[in-house]
Amino acid sequence: MMLTASSSSLLSLVLLAPAAASLLLCLVPSRQAAWVRRIAVLATGLSLAGALAIVWRYDRSLAGYQFEVVVPWISSLGISLHLGVDGIGAVLVLLHALCSFCGVLISYSIKDRVKEYYIFYLILITGVFGVFTSLDLFFFYFFYEMAVIPMYPLVGIWGSDVKEHGRVLYSKEYAAMKLTIYLTAGAVLALIGLLWLYAGSGLQTSDVVVLEHHFAFSPLPANVQHMIFPLLVLGFGVIAPMWPFHSWSPIGHAAAPSAVSMLHAGVLMKLGSYAIIRLAVSLMPEGARLWLPWLAGLCVMNIIYGGLVAMAQKDLKLIIGYSSSSHMGYVLLGIATLTPLGLNGAVLLMFAHGLMTALAFAIVGHVYDQTHTRYLPELGGLAKPLPFIATCGVMAAMASSGLPGFANFVAELLVILGAWDRYRLPAVLAVLGVVITSVYMLRLVRGTFFGPTNDSLPHAHDAATPFARLPYVILTVALLVVGCWPRPLIALIDVSTRPIINRAIQPAPALPQHPAVPEGAQ
Amino acid sequence: MNWPVIAAEAALSVLVVALLAGDLVLPSRHRPRLWQLALGGLAALAAVLWWQRPWVGDMLTATVQTGSFMAGGASMFVLDPFAYYFKWLFVLTAALVVLLTRNDAKLLSTQVGEFYLLLYTALLGMLVLASVNDLLLLFIGLELLTFSAYVMTAYVKTDSKAVEAGMKYLILGSVSSGCLIYGVGLLYGAAGSTNFEVLRAVFSSGELPPLAQIGLLLILAGLGFKIAAVPFHLWAPDVYEGAPTPVVALLSVGSKMAGVVALLRVLYGIFLPAQAVWGGLLAVVSAATLFYGNLAAIPQTNIKRLLGYSSIGHAGYVLMGLSTATRFGAQTVGFYLLAYLFSNLAIFFVITLVSKAGGGDSLDEYNGLSRRSPLLAAAMFIGLSSLAGVPPLAGFAGKWFVLLATVQQGRMWLVAIGAVNVAISLYYYFMVVRRVYVLPARPASSGAGGAPATSTPIKVDGLNRLILFFLLGGILVIGTVQGPFLSVLSRVINF
Repeated sequence: MMLTASSSSLLSLVLLAPAAASLLLCLVPSRQAAWVRRIAVLATGLSLAGALAIVWRYDRSLAGYQFEVVVPWISSLGISLHLGVDGIGAVLVLLHALCSFCGVLISYSIKDRVKEYYIFYLILITGVFGVFTSLDLFFFYFFYEMAVIPMYPLVGIWGSDVKEHGRVLYSKEYAAMKLTIYLTAGAVLALIGLLWLYAGSGLQTSDVVVLEHHFAFSPLPANVQHMIFPLLVLGFGVIAPMWPFHSWSPIGHAAAPSAVSMLHAGVLMKLGSYAIIRLAVSLMPEGARLWLPWLAGLCVMNIIYGGLVAMAQKDLKLIIGYSSSSHMGYVLLGIATLTPLGLNGAVLLMFAHGLMTALAFAIVGHVYDQTHTRYLPELGGLAKPLPFIATCGVMAAMASSGLPGFANFVAELLVILGAWDRYRLPAVLAVLGVVITSVYMLRLVRGTFFGPTNDSLPHAHDAATPFARLPYVILTVALLVVGCWPRPLIALIDVSTRPIINRAIQPAPALPQHPAVPEGAQ
Repeated sequence: MNWPVIAAEAALSVLVVALLAGDLVLPSRHRPRLWQLALGGLAALAAVLWWQRPWVGDMLTATVQTGSFMAGGASMFVLDPFAYYFKWLFVLTAALVVLLTRNDAKLLSTQVGEFYLLLYTALLGMLVLASVNDLLLLFIGLELLTFSAYVMTAYVKTDSKAVEAGMKYLILGSVSSGCLIYGVGLLYGAAGSTNFEVLRAVFSSGELPPLAQIGLLLILAGLGFKIAAVPFHLWAPDVYEGAPTPVVALLSVGSKMAGVVALLRVLYGIFLPAQAVWGGLLAVVSAATLFYGNLAAIPQTNIKRLLGYSSIGHAGYVLMGLSTATRFGAQTVGFYLLAYLFSNLAIFFVITLVSKAGGGDSLDEYNGLSRRSPLLAAAMFIGLSSLAGVPPLAGFAGKWFVLLATVQQGRMWLVAIGAVNVAISLYYYFMVVRRVYVLPARPASSGAGGAPATSTPIKVDGLNRLILFFLLGGILVIGTVQGPFLSVLSRVINF
């Protein structure tokens, strides 16, 4: 097929552009900060173009994995670099491309050790793209860890301490280390599950597509599924961030530089929910049936607890950090429903929340750069000096509260409708969560942009040039476009969630071991 | 008689004498350049190794014809692909250790000539060890290595810490050698021979008489000392802290690798049918070693001591791979060692350079390293990350493979412990990264004795730069393109 031949290079482009750029940056002298920035913008711009093309050209009538690239890697172990996206992957690749491109633009405010910063940032970007596109257990984990580890230097070096009245609440080193240890501990838990999955299939392959076909006919024994499933959900749930393993996340967001928080809250957290859909729910339906109701219970804690804690915060980034953990509860709830509505909503919410959070962190970052404080009682009246930023801030707050017109509304609605069928009480509590969200979001907007001005603050400058406004415009427009016209994305997601749901809710056919499963084809 | 088989060892013996002569003849002002002579000798040795290719026999069938050296009617010494492969790694390690000595001012100020001599004899021991096919020869090879290491540890006589380290190493090492030779004796009593082939035939049923079980246990104890496995690890932190850094590099990479080679020869070469006896034991030892090494590394304040504990932790992963008693498990151990070699040596290069510039091995010296030398900071970051098992670096693939082999073998509890230890080790490795990248440099003369400021830039000369690029490149390549290395190992480690 000509289409596949030309488009198979798209995923390679998306993945390789930031990877190549990070290697290239090692060779650029560190004095040439301008060139460093240009290379980073170019690389993420290429990835964004590729991601748009992928979403545009994904053939919905065919469904399944498309744009596949298979490079045999370790043939004796059945490990190959297998790239490919279905609708879920395509949407998340687009989300990540948008966030990383905007993140690179926002990173123009970084002045210290620019070259190292962008190298780490591009490794992080590569890792996330890798997770969303790889269809191989080995490379999935490979890229996952590759995305997690650069967070340490990024937060540790370029981050800022979380202060309250000038007193350091959490130092950036503490936040960075806590984040790294939590995520790695989760990752190794998931690693046990992944290795078990690999060994349990007995196929000597780590190819997710082959495993999907194989498990459709001869699933793992139920007791094994019951053990592997929680390993994967807990392991990847840490980054999601699932209550009660969420405590690294708000602190990490708060201490990270804005562009890193954007990626972190916008995209990195979605790695967890994506992994749960792609590996846990999709490969182990029996485990899903047993454990997902428990997950639903935890999500409610996420939504309510995260929301209540967010209400009590006074640091802008901590508010958004806790709100992220609260909103990711909806995503996990959507997954736990195991209904088409809920799962579609979950994926769309990953997209919408990613954009919204990235926008919110970019705005907070700008406010912090201008006023040197994120402490809510010290802020106020910034709508006057910062009309553009304030407008975007209000937009982000409205999106976060789930106002119609924004993508978040559609997504949260789907999740709650999906949940209503299966978990009544969690659905009701989730609606309550929306109210909590609007309380703290409105408080944040009022306290920052409106109300009395604090005269002791330095004079703040708005994002004035079109170039400086570009990231905000991209994110806001994307939120509005998807909010008003969600059909194309939902259709894209729907074709890919159906098979997962079908596998999960129908008991596996009692066929004997099928000899002609296409695993030999790889 | 098949002389080419022992050509490398013979050549090295000649080189030892030549180096001794060179040291005597060379005027003392040229002494600091003696490393070039030592490196040249290793290059000659590499040439001999290359020339030896046609005589490399088949694995385990190389008993009588090619690839073995007969003595008294039985082959004591084999040159199979396994031996050949590890000989190359040993020579590479020795060459890098010679290059490390360039940076060690303390070592260069003493009689450095004899140091290279000892390095050569240690290398001779390792080369012999790679080829052993007889328990007695195994003992000889091991002792040759260990005796050289005793002296090298205490080489800087004016440094009381080094002398103490040497003494500790000597005493504990002697005990372990005693265990080893006692075990050899018991096995001889049980089987009537020390030759591997005979032993393999006698114990092929997998049933070990009690005498042989005790013998095997004692041999494991002796070799466990070499690789610093719990409970024979006590020497490692002290010796790592006190000994000159190049010696530590040799101990942590070369000596550990030699111990693993011997373990592979004994456990996989002879006692594979009896895996029920030692598999579970190694698994338990591995778990203890992992926890001990990684937990005890956390509070350390000296980089070399920290690496001492970390090397104990890595011994745990090696033992984990060995405990599977599968061919794939043994191959993953080979891969792990390769990753460990590159990562650890890269770190030791940084340590020598930092210590040369600042004076000490305290972790405080590493505060703000990224501002003093971005290259050294990056090398430290990459090396430590690789040891911690971060992709796309070599250590990640090594850990993944070892864990995979253990999963396939079915010991899930050990996998869980191994995985947990990845997270623990990441913590203390990143505490060093934190100093390197996050913390500010120590201001001048705040430390005891008015130490110089640690904010002065560190200059890294061309050769050191080249070596660092080689090692870091190796870490990246091994970590991303694992396939070719695994396929070489699958041909080499093929018991």
